[in-house]
Amino acid sequence: MEKTKVTIEEVKRLAGLSSLEFSEEELKSFIPEFENMLELVDQVKNCDVSDVEVKYTSHKLAQLREDCAKDSLPQEEILLNSPKTKKGSFCVPKMLD
Amino acid sequence: MKFEELSLIELVKLLQEQKVSSVEVTKYFIERIKEKQNLNAVLEVYDDAIEQAEKADEKIKNGFKGKLAGVPVIIKDNILFKGKKASCSSKFLENYVAQYNSTVVEKMLNEGAVIIGRANMDEFAMGSSTENSAFGPTLNALDPTRVPGGSSGGSACAVAAGLCPVSLGTDTGGSIRQPASYNGIVGIKPTYGRVSRYGVVAFASSIEQVGPLTKNVKDNAYMLGVLSGGSEHDETSLKIEVPDFLSQIKGDIKGIKVGVLKEVEEMVKGLDVEKTYHSVIDFLKANGAEIVYSSIPDFALTLPCYYIIAPAEATSNLGRFDGVKYSRRSPKATNVDEIYLKSRSEGFGKEVKRRIMLGNFVLSSGYFDAYYNKAKKLQQKLKIEAGKVFSKCDVIVLPTTTGVAFKLGAKSNDPIAMYKEDLFTILANILGAPALSLPCGKNEEGLPYGIQIIANSLNEGMAYNVADYIEKGYRG
Repeated sequence: MEKTKVTIEEVKRLAGLSSLEFSEEELKSFIPEFENMLELVDQVKNCDVSDVEVKYTSHKLAQLREDCAKDSLPQEEILLNSPKTKKGSFCVPKMLD
Repeated sequence: MKFEELSLIELVKLLQEQKVSSVEVTKYFIERIKEKQNLNAVLEVYDDAIEQAEKADEKIKNGFKGKLAGVPVIIKDNILFKGKKASCSSKFLENYVAQYNSTVVEKMLNEGAVIIGRANMDEFAMGSSTENSAFGPTLNALDPTRVPGGSSGGSACAVAAGLCPVSLGTDTGGSIRQPASYNGIVGIKPTYGRVSRYGVVAFASSIEQVGPLTKNVKDNAYMLGVLSGGSEHDETSLKIEVPDFLSQIKGDIKGIKVGVLKEVEEMVKGLDVEKTYHSVIDFLKANGAEIVYSSIPDFALTLPCYYIIAPAEATSNLGRFDGVKYSRRSPKATNVDEIYLKSRSEGFGKEVKRRIMLGNFVLSSGYFDAYYNKAKKLQQKLKIEAGKVFSKCDVIVLPTTTGVAFKLGAKSNDPIAMYKEDLFTILANILGAPALSLPCGKNEEGLPYGIQIIANSLNEGMAYNVADYIEKGYRG
């Protein structure tokens, strides 16, 4: 099977989707790494699964609970782990002028 | 008394009979953690550990008979314990403090456990050597020049080095069994859903499980009994009766059908573990088990299947770490986009970034059908193939790893070589089936090999029975 090629544009696109920034050097180093990883995962491409139906549910025994309102965690406790909060909200820099 | 030489079950008995106090035992293990600090297995001993032990002693005096009354336990750093840090060994969550208890912590506390600290791990459980921790690698308990395995390397090392009688790990592709194997102890990945994942930081939600690491098989069965059971907060946990796993250990394997896979027989050729693997099969046969030669034709595809499903789910699960809600925000960020970008770029380590990128690749438009959809179908196909094996067999026996623990640094620059560490362990995660690793024999340097017993879903007792028999009788 031919090795899937990865371009620098592709790596940049993935970095964007991932909200990650890299130096030019790091981006370049992803190319051979990615090509090797794709060589590994590309093996599934040749497998015949035409007669199999895909299942996304995790477990046939899984049960849903009753749909009723319950107490959740207190707001102030949730906010304790946020780096910046204000009047009971998560706080970020101004987004609109 | 050398408490590290006692089994968990023996220690429970001594505590319940009040022959020793929890304070005494807890102090003893904390002292050992300090003595063995060079192993870097434990990231933090909680400052209220002794206080917890005092309360446990008080309860025991008043007649409390909890299954873990007064027993010190160490948890992996991705399991939430209210008021305590849970960093996933990541810079990103370095100061994250849990605001609620995970179900497993809740269950242990109900049984009187004293949770003394948190164990080092590969960052966000991504790795097979604990070298990906942001807080330095853990060393192997038996040979400090080698890795302890991963990602639950700290948890495995802690039990093997006698820093606690039992610890908790999580297993997404082998992260309990491989470190158990490398440190010469017992670890199980239970059936998917047997143990609730509520309050455990998610990596690949559809395949991971929490499980115990112990010195022997019976301790493990005892501990799994404590951890098992559904949670209303976790739709994927099973709300079914928990069996008494200990009573399923019969001390006899006559007539038990042991599946040996054709594909595994091929794969072990030339591996370090080959001889041990065959001698364990011979041992089982000589003691009355029936060997059934079977096949999972797509076995070799479990590794690529996993390296599609796991990064895809990880990418989604780690999307929540945005620099707004949890713990870390980059001081360099001046607007919202930069908060996301810089907080994530500074907070995540190299392997985590690599897997996020791979996950986005297999999920992105144009590739979704070729990779993710195909992998999910393949997972289904593997379940059908394994179902045929389990219609004729009670357990499948295979190696846990290809050999003994490797040297620190030996694979850290070769991600694919590291991924292949999971060659034999991933199958059970893909199937959702329970799988246990126990030490079997040693190499000439005295380092242990691990053998894996996979049972059909919800049949942990069968795996424990076979493992206990091997543990008692097999001399490699």
